[in-house]
Amino acid sequence: MSAPPEPQVLRHPLVRLARVAVRHPVVVPVGAVVIAVLIGAVIIAAAGLDPLTAYAAVLSGAFDPDTLDYTVSVWAFICGMALVAAIPLRMGEFNLGGNGQLVLGGLAAAVVAGQSGLPPLLAVPVAILAAAVLAGAFGAISAPLATRFGIPIIISTLLLSPVAVAVVSYLLRFQIGEKGAAVAQTDRFPESARMWALGDLSYTNVGLIIVILLMVAYWLVDSRTAVGFELRVVGANRRFGAYGGVRVGRLALGAMAASGAVAGIVGAIITLSAPYRLTDGALLSPGYTFAGLAAALLAGGRPALIPVTAVLFTVLQVGGAAMERSADVPRQLSDVLQGVVIVVLALRTVVDNRRSGEKGAR
Amino acid sequence: MTLTASSSPAVELSGISKRFGAVVANDGVDLVLRRGSVHAVMGENGAGKSTLMSILFGLVTPDSGQIRVDGSPVTFSSPLDAIAAGLGMVHQHFRLFESMTVAANVVFGAEPRRLGLVDRRAAEARVRELGERYGLEIDPRARVSQLSVGERQRVEILKALHRDATILILDEPTAVLTPGEVSSLFAVIRRAADSGTTVVLVTHKINEVLSVSDEVTVLRDGRVTGRFSTGDTSGAELVHAMTGRDVLEVSNQGDVTPGATVLRVRDAVVSEGGVERVGNISFDVRAGEIVGIAGVSGNGQHEVVEAILGTRSLARGSVELQGADVTGWSVRDRRAHGVAVIPEDRRGEGSAITMTIAENLTLGHHRTAPIGANRGIRRGWISLRAQRARSRELIEQFDIRTPSGQHTAGSLSGGNAQKVVIARELSYGAPLLVAEQPTQGVDVGAIEAIHGRLLDYRTAGGAVLLVSHEISELLALADRVLVMLSGEIVAELSRAEATSASIGAAMSGATAPTATATTNTTTPATGVRR
Repeated sequence: MSAPPEPQVLRHPLVRLARVAVRHPVVVPVGAVVIAVLIGAVIIAAAGLDPLTAYAAVLSGAFDPDTLDYTVSVWAFICGMALVAAIPLRMGEFNLGGNGQLVLGGLAAAVVAGQSGLPPLLAVPVAILAAAVLAGAFGAISAPLATRFGIPIIISTLLLSPVAVAVVSYLLRFQIGEKGAAVAQTDRFPESARMWALGDLSYTNVGLIIVILLMVAYWLVDSRTAVGFELRVVGANRRFGAYGGVRVGRLALGAMAASGAVAGIVGAIITLSAPYRLTDGALLSPGYTFAGLAAALLAGGRPALIPVTAVLFTVLQVGGAAMERSADVPRQLSDVLQGVVIVVLALRTVVDNRRSGEKGAR
Repeated sequence: MTLTASSSPAVELSGISKRFGAVVANDGVDLVLRRGSVHAVMGENGAGKSTLMSILFGLVTPDSGQIRVDGSPVTFSSPLDAIAAGLGMVHQHFRLFESMTVAANVVFGAEPRRLGLVDRRAAEARVRELGERYGLEIDPRARVSQLSVGERQRVEILKALHRDATILILDEPTAVLTPGEVSSLFAVIRRAADSGTTVVLVTHKINEVLSVSDEVTVLRDGRVTGRFSTGDTSGAELVHAMTGRDVLEVSNQGDVTPGATVLRVRDAVVSEGGVERVGNISFDVRAGEIVGIAGVSGNGQHEVVEAILGTRSLARGSVELQGADVTGWSVRDRRAHGVAVIPEDRRGEGSAITMTIAENLTLGHHRTAPIGANRGIRRGWISLRAQRARSRELIEQFDIRTPSGQHTAGSLSGGNAQKVVIARELSYGAPLLVAEQPTQGVDVGAIEAIHGRLLDYRTAGGAVLLVSHEISELLALADRVLVMLSGEIVAELSRAEATSASIGAAMSGATAPTATATTNTTTPATGVRR
C-alpha cells in the first residue's frame, strides 16, 4: 500500500526525475518485454543451455532472408488477431473468443470457395464477406448477453468459443470433409477460389494488404470518428460515457461484431491460402489468437502500436521454431515468454487499481 | 450518556494528515474516542471521514500524525495490525461469502479448529453466544444469500466481535437499512457500548447522531470544524458545522421574471433494492429561475439528478422537458433535447482522467458541428482541428490553468478539473442546467466565478436546478429553495422565506420552518428527532 512519510533521500531532484520517468507510458510495455526476456534467459540457463545462443537463434530464424516471406505472413495474421482483441479492448472489454470466430470464418470461406462455383473475380471477395458476416454475428452475440443478462463479455466469448470450434470440427469430420481421408479436411479449393497471389511469393499474398487496410481503417475510426471517440471514452470511464449520452449497449454490439468480423476475415485469408483447404485444427494450432491478444494488450489497444508489438510476437513465434532446430531449446519457451509478458501487464493493472482504489477511499 | 472523567481514551488520533495528489483529504485531524462511548464522525461527502477511518483501520497510511491505542503509539501497515489491536470495521458495502453459512462467514480467517479441521459446531456455538451477549440473534446455519440486508449487517458486526474487537467502526451503517432495521441496529450499538465496546459511527445523518451517539466530531474539507457532546448540541448547530461557509459576494438580485416551464417532475419515485430513495416528489423549474435543492447529502438529491438526466430510471412518475415527456428517453436523446448536468462526482462521472482535456471537453459535442457533424458527408467524423480550437477557446474563456489542452484531465487540480466539467456543460447552451454541488472542493475565487456563471445562465433565460449542501450558496443564488429529507421534499421556501435558519431547520427535520428566525441557535434541538 502507500508509503510511510517520505525519507529525505526520496526528495532528491534526481530521484524525483527518475520517478517521473518511471511513470512514462512506454516504460511498462518495454519493461514487461525486458523482464520476460530476462526470465526466459534464466530458464534457458537453468536447462543448461546458453541464453545468448538461443536468443541469437530466435532472431536469425525470424529474420532469415530465405523465409522472410513466411515471417511476414505470420505477422499479418498476428496483426489481424491483435485487431480482434484491440477493438473491444478500446472500450474496456475482452474478446477471448477469437478462436471460435476464426474457425467460423474459415468454415464460411471454405463453403463458399469449395461449393459455390463462383467465377474467379467473385469467389474470393464473397468468401471473405461470408466469413466476416458469420463470425461477426457470432461475436456480436456476446453484447446482448452482457447488456440484457449481465454475463460479462470476457466470460461469454471464452465459453462460446469452444462450441463454435466443436461444431466446425464436427462438420469437417462428418459433413463437408473429404470422403475417405484420414484427416478431417475439405477438398482443395478450385484455382478460381484461391487467395490472390502477390508477385511470386509463396506465403504472403493479397491477405497481407487486406490486413493492412483493416489496420488503417481501425486507426481512422479510432482517432477520427465519433464512434471511435465513444469507444475510448467508455474504455477510459464507463460512467462518464453513460453520463455523456453514449449508448454503451449499442457500442458494445458494434465493437463485438467488428471484432468477430475481423477474426472471420483472418480465418478466411488463412483458409484460402496454401494449402487451399480447411483442415481441422489447422487454424488454431499456430496460436495466432493469443499471440494477437498479447500484442493488443502490450499495445494497450492503440492502433499505431499494434504493428510494432505484433513484430515482437511474430519473432517469438517464428524464431522459436528456429531456436528449437538450431539451439536445441524447446519452442514452448516462446509460450513462456508470451505468458510472462501478459502476467507483467496484468500486474500493472492490479497495481493501478490498488492505487486508484486508495484514491477513491476518500 | 453521561461521560465520567474516569473513562480513558481507547483511541487517540492526533494531527492526522493525508493528501491524495492535489487533494487534501485530512488536514491535522485530532480525534479522541473514549472507551465505552458511541462517537459519531460526521461530515459531507468528501469531508474526509472515510479517509480518516481508513487510516484508523490500517487501510491507508497517513502522511503525518499519530495513532494511540490505550495510550501507546501504534503504526498500522495493514488491517491485520488494526484487528490485532482490537479494531473491527463494518464497511458500507458488505464483504461476505453469499453461498456460505452465517457461522462460516463469522469465523472466516480465525476459525476454531479441531484435529486441524474447522470445528463447525464450535463456530455455531460462538455465533449463538455472541448473538445473545449483544442482542444480535441470527441463525448460524442460514446461508448469507438468503438474508436481508439488515441481517447481513449483523453478520458483519459479528465478524468483528468474533475477533474480539473492542473498538467497532461502522461506516454509514444505516445507508442501506429500513427504518425498523435502523432502530434495532441502534439498540445493538447501545448495548455494545454499555458493555465496554467503543463504537465509531460514520454518518452524515443528523437524527441518527442525535439519537444514538454520546459525542460528535464534525469534519469539513478535511479539518475538524466541531466537537460536541451530543447532549449539549442541536441539529442546527451540527448542520452549521458541516456546511457553514462565509457569506458570499455574488448574489441573486431577484430581477428576472420566470418564463415557461422547462422541467416538470411529477410523482417521481426512485427505488433501489427495495428501498425508496426518492418518494413521490413533484416540482417545476421555469426559464429564467434558479431553483435550489437543499438537504444533507444522501437524502435523494443525487437520485433526482440521475432521473432527470436518464442514467437512472423512475419506478413511477414522469419527467417532462420543454413540454415533451422524456421519461423513457435515453441520455443521448435527453441531452439533445436540452439538458446539461454538472455532476457531483466530477472525477468518477464527469470526466475521464486518463483522456486529454480537449477530449474531456468534447464529449457530447462530438456529433454536432463544429467538431462533428450530424448530416452530410462528414457525418460521424470528428475534426481534430476543431476539437483543438474549441478546447483552446474554452480553456481561455473559463481560465483553466493548464499548459495545453493535450494534457490529461487527471493532471489538473480539483478546481481546474471542475472548470473543465462546467465549461463543457455550460457550452451546450441547453435550456435546462442541473448543477450538483458545483463548488464542492473549489477555492474561494473559483466559487465566485462559478456563481457568476450560473447567474448569467439564468439571466440569459436558462432554467437552473442547483443541488447544494451549502446553505450560503443557496441563499446567494436560488430564487426558490426546495428542501429534501429522506427522499421527500419537506419544505419549499421562496426567496423571502429562505434564511439559513429556516433551511437548516428543514434540512434537519424540524417541523414548520419559520421565516422570522434569524440565527441558527434559535432552532430547538428537540425538533430534530423524527
